[in-house]
Amino acid sequence: MSEPAVLARDLRKSYDGRVAVDGIDFAVDPGTCFGFLGPNGAGKTTTMKMVYGLAEVGGGELRVLGIDVVAEPRRVKAHLGVVPQETNLDGEFTVLENLLVQASYFGIPRRDVEPRARELLEFTQLTERAGDRIETLSGGMKRRLLVARALINEPDIVVLDEPTTGLDPQARLAVWRAMEELKDRGVSLLLTTHYMEEAARLCDRLVIMDLGRIVAEGEPVELIRKHQAENLEEVFLDLTGRHLRED
Amino acid sequence: MKTDSPRSLSRSQIIPSPRYAASVAGRNARVFSKLWKGSLAPQFIDPLFYLVAMGYGLGTYIASINGVPYRDFIAPGLIASSAMWAASFECTYNVYIRMHEYHLYDAVLSTPVEAQDLVAGDLVWSAIRAMIYSTVFLIVVTAFGLIHSWWAIAIPPLVIIGGLAFSTIAYTFTALIPRIDLYSYYFTLGITPMFLFSGIFFPFNRLPGWVEVVAWFTPLYHLVQVTRGLAEGPGPIVLVHLGILLAISVALFAIPVRAVRRRLVA
Repeated sequence: MSEPAVLARDLRKSYDGRVAVDGIDFAVDPGTCFGFLGPNGAGKTTTMKMVYGLAEVGGGELRVLGIDVVAEPRRVKAHLGVVPQETNLDGEFTVLENLLVQASYFGIPRRDVEPRARELLEFTQLTERAGDRIETLSGGMKRRLLVARALINEPDIVVLDEPTTGLDPQARLAVWRAMEELKDRGVSLLLTTHYMEEAARLCDRLVIMDLGRIVAEGEPVELIRKHQAENLEEVFLDLTGRHLRED
Repeated sequence: MKTDSPRSLSRSQIIPSPRYAASVAGRNARVFSKLWKGSLAPQFIDPLFYLVAMGYGLGTYIASINGVPYRDFIAPGLIASSAMWAASFECTYNVYIRMHEYHLYDAVLSTPVEAQDLVAGDLVWSAIRAMIYSTVFLIVVTAFGLIHSWWAIAIPPLVIIGGLAFSTIAYTFTALIPRIDLYSYYFTLGITPMFLFSGIFFPFNRLPGWVEVVAWFTPLYHLVQVTRGLAEGPGPIVLVHLGILLAISVALFAIPVRAVRRRLVA
């Protein structure tokens, strides 16, 4: 058995005494897609942020490819690609320049960058927009550029925090196809989503989180069978309740 | 067991990596190289107005100061203040917008770049930018015949140290304030009075002794002493002023690093 892509043991985090992640354990097998489902405020995004260094680990253990996230954040982040929930592209630059500048943060030698960037624009169908400014892009294009940007350092693991929220069906399909192709290439994926069909389609394994804890874990089909449900949505609602959450 | 309380930073969380800091500075330089025609002009023209109004206007009625023609007296001081203004704008509004409006720093900190690299890269770029503005102004006043020493060639590299001090002070303010409108206090109560009372427009030797003592506590005073010294032929005291400016940057650096971490890596 090879080293897990991501391994969490009793992982914890609170903000000013409010518990966001309350002692969770999970292991992501390399080359698989691992999903985090849960209502808003369940602790999914906080967990993701601890993986990619935008939240300090509050307690417990978190390792990426065997490397301790707390002790060696730079080494961990060098292996990661991140597609954040909110678009944070660099508005001063064009589409292509966004990829070149991103590469510089990884210390990737200049001569290697441009061919790789062009390849990624091809992969995300943005080649024709290479010279355009960010503000001229549609929501779906920005999302695809975030995916391209996350891949510039040839990451072993890509973290996607609600990558298709707010996209039309065509744009969503384009992101899904990109994710499937990444998985075929052996890249591990960490995905949070509110869309059950997205989780069912992409995830090899998933956890359902609620109030900072993991309330269920398994393969999508296995979870549906175990809970004698029709689909994943039903499992989700059974486990996290049907009342409206205020957060 | 680690706790959730904000912990003090370890050495490795404060000392920046030159390589990653350079990537951040490089990003900012790249933006500047795209926009320089638009963004260089206004801040460059500003000290020129002061030179004309004070030096050539008011200066017509003031024969000389300490034996130096008035416009020759103020020109080196305006080189110093142009560095201050450039660094102060960069590390207030520009940094604030990158941090809070563009959410750019979230993206940067998700790469191997850490908070200390980000702050150091921004500061180094801001100091270089300050040097660019003050060097342009130095060339202009040299063309006007207001510079009298070859030592002035050392102004551009040494003004970087002053630019770094103003950048670090402004960055510290930026990292700690909750709202962008607080900058009006920074400029009205900090930068503008410093501009007027740091020995650019009048010397202190006929004023009560405490005036110069107060001036010693302002970074601009020290940079003015450096640029004026070099423009007129320096004494060794210039090294003391440079040392003070460098000490300001070193002493403050950890504050914005800690604040940026607390804000962005909560």
